[in-house]
Amino acid sequence: MAVASFARSRRRAELSLGLLVVAVTVGGYILVALANGPKLPPNVAILLAWVFGLYAVAHLAVRRFAPAADGTLLPIAAMLNGIGFVMIARLAGAGRDYPQQARAQSVWVAIGIVAFVVTLIVVRDVRIFERYRYIALLLGIGFMLLPLVPVIGQSKGGGRLWVGLGPVNFEPNEVSKVLLVAFFAAYLSEKRELLTQGRIRIGRWFVPSPRDLGPLLLAWGMSLLVLAYEQDIGTSLLFFGVFAAMLYITTRRAAYIVGTVVLLVVGALVAYKAFGHVRVRVENWTNPWAHPNGSGLQPIQGWYALGSGGVAGTGLGLGRPWLVPLASTDYMFTSIGEELGLVGSIGVIALFMLFVGSAFRIAVDTVRPFNKLFAAGIATIIGMQTFLIIGGVTRVIPLTGISLPFVSYGGSSLIANFVLLAILMRLSDDSARAEPPAGALAGAP
Amino acid sequence: MSDSILTVLKFCLLALLYLFLLRVVLIVARELRGSGSIAAPAPRAPVAAPAPPARGSKRKEWRLVVVAPETERGHSYPIDGDATIGRGGGCAVALGFDTFVSQVHARAIDREGTLWVEDAGSTNGTLVNGNRITETTKLRKGDRVQVGETVLEVQR
Repeated sequence: MAVASFARSRRRAELSLGLLVVAVTVGGYILVALANGPKLPPNVAILLAWVFGLYAVAHLAVRRFAPAADGTLLPIAAMLNGIGFVMIARLAGAGRDYPQQARAQSVWVAIGIVAFVVTLIVVRDVRIFERYRYIALLLGIGFMLLPLVPVIGQSKGGGRLWVGLGPVNFEPNEVSKVLLVAFFAAYLSEKRELLTQGRIRIGRWFVPSPRDLGPLLLAWGMSLLVLAYEQDIGTSLLFFGVFAAMLYITTRRAAYIVGTVVLLVVGALVAYKAFGHVRVRVENWTNPWAHPNGSGLQPIQGWYALGSGGVAGTGLGLGRPWLVPLASTDYMFTSIGEELGLVGSIGVIALFMLFVGSAFRIAVDTVRPFNKLFAAGIATIIGMQTFLIIGGVTRVIPLTGISLPFVSYGGSSLIANFVLLAILMRLSDDSARAEPPAGALAGAP
Repeated sequence: MSDSILTVLKFCLLALLYLFLLRVVLIVARELRGSGSIAAPAPRAPVAAPAPPARGSKRKEWRLVVVAPETERGHSYPIDGDATIGRGGGCAVALGFDTFVSQVHARAIDREGTLWVEDAGSTNGTLVNGNRITETTKLRKGDRVQVGETVLEVQR
């Protein structure tokens, strides 16, 4: 049968790309060690087994549970993850928090892969998100509110967006990200005609009634309000952008883009006036040299890092990326830019572009409106998040602290992104199995 | 370790990364060229507006023609890809005269020459040849679709 041979060729591609991922990750790790002398790192065999084993587990899970899914998404995510891990392990040589982060990250990657496999097994049918969309909405907002709960909520680096439960800290907003995109995809696919064509007539225009837009605006406003309260500008902007994009994809009406841009400008002005931490970000963007040893230190060191890397980079283990504060999380991109240069950073950006492209291809190929919107929403989330943080550290836009997907250190973000990856694989598998157009068109129950 | 060897090794690593990128691009290009895609060629358009029928195709278009009520008899609505049926003014098949029809009542979809109909969560339901439909239903020429008190005949 055609599906089977198609699936086989996709899985073969995934396997052979995976070997390259292992080669780059382990090769990078060895290069870091060689920078200190002609000796292989003692634990390279363990690392090889770990990287190879984790990739094999993920690959076999895909073969078993989503055999016809896209063959490029998992290798790209793994490559990004591998490059990120090499940089974190490289920073471990610089002391501070980094050695502990490197150890933790190797465990987080494994937990991320487990989350990927579990999602593939549990979510056999994405319609579960469609059916329980309001539960997804409530859970999403609930998770978002968690950091504000007195005892367990924690503040770190200016934002109150952590939850501590005993020894484990996590960012609930990463979970909300998954749930809210699911809700928006379900809601928009259900109401797409009403939002596109409108039911209220003003002159010769039809506009959507507040009844149809209401829940959407409520969910959106609430999430932004909570995030502003937690001072997590990055995630606020991310949600804002993703929902604007999803509205536009649903309706194809430019009016929604104009509307959201106006809302964004108004929101940005209000935030600038109301919050001191927003003003600092903007001042750092327009002129970091005002406080070169204070708030401007990080962006300035970030440029020095990128600049000293030049075209081909200093080489792994040969730069000084630790001079930039938060070199393993927000400023991960400049660490890569310093040691692998413009060539390496363009490579990383190309990986993200291919990932987002493959995700949008799933959205285009699939027929069911909900699946289409879900895939497009996930593609937008990853793409927008990448733009926000890379644009932030390269001073295209003001910096908003948010992780570089799959690359930065951080467990919550890694797990959430692997769950999104698993959902994309499920959506891709569904569409490749040539669903009959009939079932494909059935709307929400 | 001498710097030059490290530089060479660094370029080898970058070359591996770019080899990876190249292979991904080739795999994607092969699938896009169509040898790979086994999914029924999906409509490549946003959710709300499926692609119009290929230009130059001589395929005949499906139409829904009102047969009841008597006063509206003969109104003909061409189905261009994806058409909404409802009382709302923005619907492709706008049945403003029938108060038993929901704002957006049902959808008719022409997919590769086959016409389907599905209920869009209407209040009074959609009937095909007298039977209430619960899922997307295939239509043939001559079938009768009833929404509210309006009966539409499938023609092409």
